[in-house]
Amino acid sequence: MLGKGGKRKFDEHEDGLEDKVVSPTDGPSKVSYTLQRQTIFNISLMKLYNHRPLTEPSLQKTVLINNMLRRIQEELKQEGSLRPMFVASSQPADPLSDNFREAQPAFSHLASPPLLPADLVSTMPLESCLTPASLLEDDTFCTSPAVQHDGPTKPPPPALQPVKDSFSSALDEIEELCPAPTSAEAVAAESAADDSKAQPSESNIHKPEGLPESRTAESKLVDPLPGNFEITASTGFLTDLTLDDILFADIDTSMYDFDPCTSATGAASKMAPVSADELLKTLAPYSSQPVTPNQPFKMDLTELDHIMEVLVGS
Amino acid sequence: FLGAGGGNDIQWCFSQVKGAVDDDVAEADIISTVEFNHSGELLATGDKGGRVVIFQQEQENKTQSHSRGEYNVYSTFQSHEPEFDYLKSLEIEEKINKIRWLPQKNAAQFLLSTNDKTIKLWKISERDKRPEGYNLKEEDGRYRDPTTVTTLRVPVFRPMDLMVEASPRRIFANAHTYHINSISINSDYETYLSADDLRINLWHLEITDRSFNIVDIKPANMEELTEVITAAEFHPNSCSTFVYSSSKGTIRLCDMRASALCDRHSKLFEEPEDPSNRSFFSEIISSISDVKFSHSGRYMMTRDYLSVKIWDLNMENRPVETYQVHEYLRSKLCSLYENDCIFDKFECCWNGSDRQSRNSLLTSLFLPPVCSIVMTGSYNNFFRMFDRNTKRDITLEASRENNKPRTVLKPRKVCASGKRKKDEISVDSLDFNKKILHTAWHPKENIIAVATTNNLYIFQDKMN
Repeated sequence: MLGKGGKRKFDEHEDGLEDKVVSPTDGPSKVSYTLQRQTIFNISLMKLYNHRPLTEPSLQKTVLINNMLRRIQEELKQEGSLRPMFVASSQPADPLSDNFREAQPAFSHLASPPLLPADLVSTMPLESCLTPASLLEDDTFCTSPAVQHDGPTKPPPPALQPVKDSFSSALDEIEELCPAPTSAEAVAAESAADDSKAQPSESNIHKPEGLPESRTAESKLVDPLPGNFEITASTGFLTDLTLDDILFADIDTSMYDFDPCTSATGAASKMAPVSADELLKTLAPYSSQPVTPNQPFKMDLTELDHIMEVLVGS
Repeated sequence: FLGAGGGNDIQWCFSQVKGAVDDDVAEADIISTVEFNHSGELLATGDKGGRVVIFQQEQENKTQSHSRGEYNVYSTFQSHEPEFDYLKSLEIEEKINKIRWLPQKNAAQFLLSTNDKTIKLWKISERDKRPEGYNLKEEDGRYRDPTTVTTLRVPVFRPMDLMVEASPRRIFANAHTYHINSISINSDYETYLSADDLRINLWHLEITDRSFNIVDIKPANMEELTEVITAAEFHPNSCSTFVYSSSKGTIRLCDMRASALCDRHSKLFEEPEDPSNRSFFSEIISSISDVKFSHSGRYMMTRDYLSVKIWDLNMENRPVETYQVHEYLRSKLCSLYENDCIFDKFECCWNGSDRQSRNSLLTSLFLPPVCSIVMTGSYNNFFRMFDRNTKRDITLEASRENNKPRTVLKPRKVCASGKRKKDEISVDSLDFNKKILHTAWHPKENIIAVATTNNLYIFQDKMN
């Protein structure tokens, strides 16, 4: 169940690796470490934002996923500030990448990309969401010219593109946001092929930006949903919504309750304040909002009435 | 393996299985907690549908070894109902997270059961007599016309079919903002603690409108939250001492005499990370899912994702023993993260004392049971036992196939890599939906209760 998916995945994309010297039998490599890190990052994001339970999600799980994201972001930040790590080449012993070297032994078994349980595909089309191996190998994150010029508009994580394309369906099931890999792949492969030798320094600067871009853009998905009509109106997303969608969106309180989520985006925003300006303003009310009442023992009825009024919009 | 040879090794046999047979598992039937009472006569289970089912050990056959492990339904009741939190517009699950029995003081039995938000004290009592012969009432309850009464009689109690009634005696509500993960009754039998993700509260069993907060790890700014409480337990003998574990793999021992708010721990138990095993998932797999004191209170056991650790309360910097439950999963952590299995909360338990064992009868009567075996669950309906003395371990399976009463369970083996031997199971064929999270050991005999997703298995020691 665990092994088969991984092997298949690698075989599928072997064609995409023609230009690279990487093969499944290689030992620990920078590429596979980056690959796994990116995969885990994507998975973590999906877990935080895909959850639409009727009951409150587990705080422990949220905290652990959030810690994972922070750690990866930290690592990327450090790597970005030290030296470029993503120029495709064989430099296994990079003296500056202490983080990487430490973690390297842990991934000695990861010659092949991370494994996907086969039955996950049916419930969550993760295979299509996870950046395919070829995409990551190309390292569109830092080598894509789009990042250099446009910054936020050509985000490396493929998940972002279809977000803009299919926002209305995103409200029902975020799973539907997961893009068909083909379109993203094609774009990325193209740009990567052109830029396999992008200048490291530029990719440095844009790497961390790319991340918060993905984070904040991802949070664009979620932020409008709790009913911040200000944002949705200004960005024109509301046009596709029906009244039902708005009402249902109201109910989602994941952003209120799970400050770790907003904090993750908040932290990301700090890294690239300029580009996430608009979003920061709207994020502020969420993060400063007290998550829980300080007196959990009492429910003020008048307060409750007031809230109900606001929700009903009377 | 345990059971491979003589000595004090236990040979486990299938005794019973409770629950639906068909593979289609109803969500409400998912077992969420299992607990023996202090005598072992009663075995309680809680499920996702908020129900509590209590089984009672068959008394008549107790002396006959082959029927010692026979439990039959004693009482079933709906403990918690689903609720709706209007403020957050979210449902509050009725799933029973924990059940803890109170020691028996009179004819009735008492237990605490809790869901995410509310703890309830239930009284389970038997009724086997009823009054008959009222003057003003007929037997069916209708009132008689007083004018027809010509003689008087004294009502008498007559035997009736045994009825077991469960009634909620106390409801401890509105004290937890976050999800309750543990309850633990103090050795004074008057107070108990309840722990949620960020706070631990102390209650008096008689008082429902007030509880005292003894631990609060909620940061002023929730954005700084990086650690939550995962389990808590009172020390079995010292009524002012308790421990709580965290999602970062630490255990803190606190003394309530030190201050009202036990934010400063007396002891901090933490094992330094093994650098050779570091990975992205190090923190997640270090998160402790269960903590249990040994009966004497000298040791405690913790369960994290891959291992069981025994700690000596006098040594904080590392555990005294570590047992790997399913080390072969270490290379699969990314997939297990993806499918959420890495967040599964496995429990662990100590053996009870065994009066029938070859150990001295005197010692088993007068001394607390020696905690020499630990048990915990795994995937594919496997569960594991580790003998601390012999350092041997065994993997057994809870399944309806190949389980005949009085036949010794066959040990299982998982093949981590390389060539798979006959009867071994490869890691890739493990069923990760079949997880054993809850197990319990009879306090006095070698009888164990093992919960699969929706079935309860009872195994007992094969006596010669």
